[in-house]
Amino acid sequence: MRTIIGLWLAAFVSPLLAIHASEAGAIDWHKALIGLPLTALHTGPSFHRTEDWQFGATQSVVLTATASNVLAALHPENGTVAWRHVFDERDRVIAYKAYGNYVASLSGPGGATFRILDVHSGVLIVERQLHTPESGRLFEPTSLGIGLAPSAESDVFILTDGHQLRRVDGQSGDVQWEWASQDQASLYVYSNVVSTPSAIYLVGLAKSFASYTVHITAFSPTTGEELSSADIPSSITEGPSQLFVLSNKNKDSHVVWLQDGRIHSLRLAPDLKGKASVTKGATYKKLLDVKLCEDGQIVGIKEDGSGRVVKLADDGSLKVTWEFKNSATSKQYSESIYTGGKDMDGAPYIARVFWSNILRTASAHVLAPHLADGKGLVTGFTFPFATHTHGIITHVALDAVNPAELRVLSRLVLTTSTGAVQLWQQDQLQWIREEGLSDIRAVEMVELPEPKVVASQIANEENEAFSSRLFRQLSDAQNFPQYAAKFARRFATGSYASVSSSVASQANASVPLSRDAFGLRKIIVAATTHGKVFGIDSSSGEIVWSRVYGLGWAAEVGGRIIPLKMFVTRAVGDADGATPQVAIVAERKADNVRDPMSPMSLLPDTHFQSLTDTVVFHVDALTGADALGVSQDKDILQGKDVIAGSCVEAFLYQDDDAKFVLLFDEFLQTHIFPDTSHNYDVFTNVVRSLHFPLRSSSETTRTLTGHRINVEKEFTGKHVAYPTWTTAFPPNEDILSIITRPSSSPVASHGKVLGNRTTLYKYLNPSTLVVLTGSLPMAKAKSCGVYVLDGGKGTVLYHSILPASPSGECNVKAVFTENWLVYSYYDGELGAPDQAKSHRLVSVELYEGAQPDDKISSSELASYSNLTTHVSVYEQSFVFPRGILAMTTTSTKYGISVKDILIATDNSQIVSVPRRFLDPRRPKRKVTAEEAEEWLIQYDPLLPDDPKRVISHRYQISYARQILTSPSLLESTSLIFAYGPHDLFSTRSSPSGTFDVLSEDFNKLQLVLTISGLLAAILVTRPMVSRKKVKERWYD
Amino acid sequence: MRLPSSLLLLASSFCSALALDLKGQILWNDVCPGKLCHHTEGQARVQLDDGRLHSGITRDGRFTIPNVPKGIYILEVVAHDHVFDKLRIDVVETELLPEVRPYIPGTPLSPPAQVLLSYPIVLYARAAYDFYIPRQSFNVLAMFQNPMMLMMVFTGVMVLAMPYLMKNMDPEALQDFGKHQSKIAEVQNAFQSGDIKSGFSAIMNSGEEEPRSSGSAPAARQGTPTSRNRAPKNKRR
Repeated sequence: MRTIIGLWLAAFVSPLLAIHASEAGAIDWHKALIGLPLTALHTGPSFHRTEDWQFGATQSVVLTATASNVLAALHPENGTVAWRHVFDERDRVIAYKAYGNYVASLSGPGGATFRILDVHSGVLIVERQLHTPESGRLFEPTSLGIGLAPSAESDVFILTDGHQLRRVDGQSGDVQWEWASQDQASLYVYSNVVSTPSAIYLVGLAKSFASYTVHITAFSPTTGEELSSADIPSSITEGPSQLFVLSNKNKDSHVVWLQDGRIHSLRLAPDLKGKASVTKGATYKKLLDVKLCEDGQIVGIKEDGSGRVVKLADDGSLKVTWEFKNSATSKQYSESIYTGGKDMDGAPYIARVFWSNILRTASAHVLAPHLADGKGLVTGFTFPFATHTHGIITHVALDAVNPAELRVLSRLVLTTSTGAVQLWQQDQLQWIREEGLSDIRAVEMVELPEPKVVASQIANEENEAFSSRLFRQLSDAQNFPQYAAKFARRFATGSYASVSSSVASQANASVPLSRDAFGLRKIIVAATTHGKVFGIDSSSGEIVWSRVYGLGWAAEVGGRIIPLKMFVTRAVGDADGATPQVAIVAERKADNVRDPMSPMSLLPDTHFQSLTDTVVFHVDALTGADALGVSQDKDILQGKDVIAGSCVEAFLYQDDDAKFVLLFDEFLQTHIFPDTSHNYDVFTNVVRSLHFPLRSSSETTRTLTGHRINVEKEFTGKHVAYPTWTTAFPPNEDILSIITRPSSSPVASHGKVLGNRTTLYKYLNPSTLVVLTGSLPMAKAKSCGVYVLDGGKGTVLYHSILPASPSGECNVKAVFTENWLVYSYYDGELGAPDQAKSHRLVSVELYEGAQPDDKISSSELASYSNLTTHVSVYEQSFVFPRGILAMTTTSTKYGISVKDILIATDNSQIVSVPRRFLDPRRPKRKVTAEEAEEWLIQYDPLLPDDPKRVISHRYQISYARQILTSPSLLESTSLIFAYGPHDLFSTRSSPSGTFDVLSEDFNKLQLVLTISGLLAAILVTRPMVSRKKVKERWYD
Repeated sequence: MRLPSSLLLLASSFCSALALDLKGQILWNDVCPGKLCHHTEGQARVQLDDGRLHSGITRDGRFTIPNVPKGIYILEVVAHDHVFDKLRIDVVETELLPEVRPYIPGTPLSPPAQVLLSYPIVLYARAAYDFYIPRQSFNVLAMFQNPMMLMMVFTGVMVLAMPYLMKNMDPEALQDFGKHQSKIAEVQNAFQSGDIKSGFSAIMNSGEEEPRSSGSAPAARQGTPTSRNRAPKNKRR
């Protein structure tokens, strides 16, 4: 009943919001991401091919586990996502193994959870927890101590935690038997599980002095009974990375390891009585697993760096079958990447991929060992990998076909350091996925300039000859018939620019970006942590431009760029109105600096492991061109080192004269970017009025300290900030985040007129801020806090204590706009009689004074005025039917439209909750006539779960991290961009309906018909009336 | 008070070892049919409270939430396309099986509902979310089916047809009709001007007038047309 009322209410409040099925895909777009592939052996991209028994055709997918905690399959033909399985954030995927039509995965610490999915559809077949995540052991690397080995009977043998072995049914997930070693992995850590018809082997290492020894245990596959166990005399210094199990055609398995540069091998037999043999000849630096262990192939890297293919022959001996030419370490080539793959018939291939520093291209040499009468055949090709836009190759997966004798075609899936996944078919790039976008750290939506009207020369009209004028005017007029036809058509059919149509331009790269009639098209500038910044067209999701960050001086040693904040330093409407520009404030963490000449090298490692600098990248938002003018368009983007050290805070200062970024270093010195004398003059004029809060911490308490900037320069030539006030939070409470109002949120009305003709004036003190706090890990009683502070003085205006989750985490989300704060939390407490476990949404409104009609003009008060604390608070709590991941409000150009709250929910939807539902003044009884005049509705604790308000409709946006809103030129419409580790989504929303444009549902035909009907009626009745009048005069 | 609560805490920490696996199944129905549903839902999951304990849903609709310690939980299905019921699960220390009850969101947890549901849990999709509203299409027939439109058309037809009808009418019937009409107009006028009393009296009178209508009606009939027609004549002079 309650839901029905809720739905009815929802329908009553605003029937305008839901979208039409035809608008899906036109006004919005959705890009499914899989995340940056994890390039380790058990998680990196790989081809998997299955055969359809009925039709004999084969189908292949590219499988990978990613940093976004996803196991995904891509269609190799076009790079689209076949399926993706998203793991819970506490359950990291650590390994997968594809076999037949299935893919098995292990996730969580020590391989806590085991799953089997369908390899083509991603449907979950088995999910089983093997041990609790808390009891799992954390190995480094995470893939150590786990293993998956499918048996012939579709069961799977699973090694977890380095010491537990189970046989699990591949269809039901039932555990057939399990075994755990007595020592709980304190002495032996198993790293491989091998399934043979006669026995199951666990191969691992045992710790001994200075090195490891190989330890093998054999089990009965049917009962799980331990058959035998043996320590093999050996000494491995490298650890489990140099321990492999190879099998040959006869299903003989051999343990292979590298000891003192020589390959040792041992045949596995249930009694484990074999003896290790040693290969003679060259010594090796390391052995590489190229995913062909089941085919008995492995790559050994010799001391000089050259690669050799080592094969387990049918007689059980190890033989070098191939040596890649010119593969020795050289300055001419980058280090080679070796990878293995198979063709349709299951024949193995090995590829060596490297970058040539001389030719500036990437090369691949693909070895087909079975061709040329078993002597091996190498096919080489170079492919134009664009290193300036995609960084360096970090992983390669290989798939090959052998269409004719002595002819090999190969497909390579490359993963690059900037997060791109590419498929090359020989030297042709087939598709590219920019997975770096799964980790966006700073993002802005930038307005586009108006289209430039091409006006043919107007300059010298004065002294223009007649003929040339005629010619010009004729040429100007040549478009007239087209225009007239267009006009007539538009007039007749009423096809005007509409808000529910796509504004994406037809693919035409030569025309510069320009805005559409309603400003619904913007450019989204997104900076990722993978060394790249993207410009995305907000109307279509197309990547317009992308730039790779340069590392500056750290290019020599390597490093990482982590974007912190992004500011629009020049917008379209600004005085110096050229193209818009964006400044990205980023932190550069240089890798370990080890300059023997530097005095720093005497310090212990910890002091200079990563040298942090603050760099600002300044780009043109439309083209990605370097606004500093340092780097070329095709080259990497160089930034400007602003602070030699980390940046504690950065703000954008803007007024009519100037727009610049203020950065503060660890000593609270002020840095200005761009550092022009004009900006400096503006800064010195306003420096007295600037104030900002910073978090600081002492041993037990965390404080928020307000700062102002000294008018006088220090001896360093910089202005330094000094503290003015401090708000200490209770001990054991940590500041989690500080939330301020959106930077551009115009306030249309300063008060709210009530039904009884009094006015509540909004509390609009510009320095108000919201602080979310949580308990420190060692605190006994866990709770979370929400504070509203006056940022000018540090006075607490509103405070609320919220329950923390059982594990002590605070998952509070808040959004603050005008005088309205909305925050969410999970109320899991039981106790009070009316308490229910539910997701809560609390709506808080701050008004001036103690009662209606009290006015203190809070938006103009000096920050020191005592009046700023005269606040009355209205609040109300609601039950939200879903978990909340991110929250924001819509934003429009003038702030006249109602502000809805946009919520990303845990069931992968983005929901728009109308303001009227969240009004804290909703009465808890029947509404009176006065309240009805204010459009208040009766309080209902439960907010309705209305599918018509799901603006993301059929798209699934899982684990959304943030929702960004931006105004369009239409006051009614707000642009929305939601992003997270798995999705990018953009749409528009009109919380008050599209009141400023003619509705899509407006029925022009009906209007025309009605008018013509009336006209006809007039035409018919006019003679009748006049006849009647005449008649009246005659006969009366 | 402090002692018992700490004891309880201690007890609960011991009990965590006695946690049970919560099992159930989602039955495919017409709303959410089998494989198709599993495919569109992608990755629906079943979770307790805020999602710390959860389970995926396998191909056959089964789910198992492992290691649920004792306590009171709200079980929900997190699905993108379908609505499912929420359930209240009580994992009790003394019993091997949990208690399953229906739960209506937004209602207090105590007192618990009297109805106990069976275990293993059985759930099915209540409804599929419909995200779209249909576009209002234009239809001439529908336009004329609109009551306002019908009234308009009827009035139009009457305006055109009235003179002919009047002409073809029997003069006596016409007189009767005119009288009746004026009476109705009188009542209507009275109600419109807010003079309900006189309106009622007009209705009342209509009954009384009936017998002597023969006498008064012609006078009235004569009176009205003359007065109406006189005015233009006067003006002309």
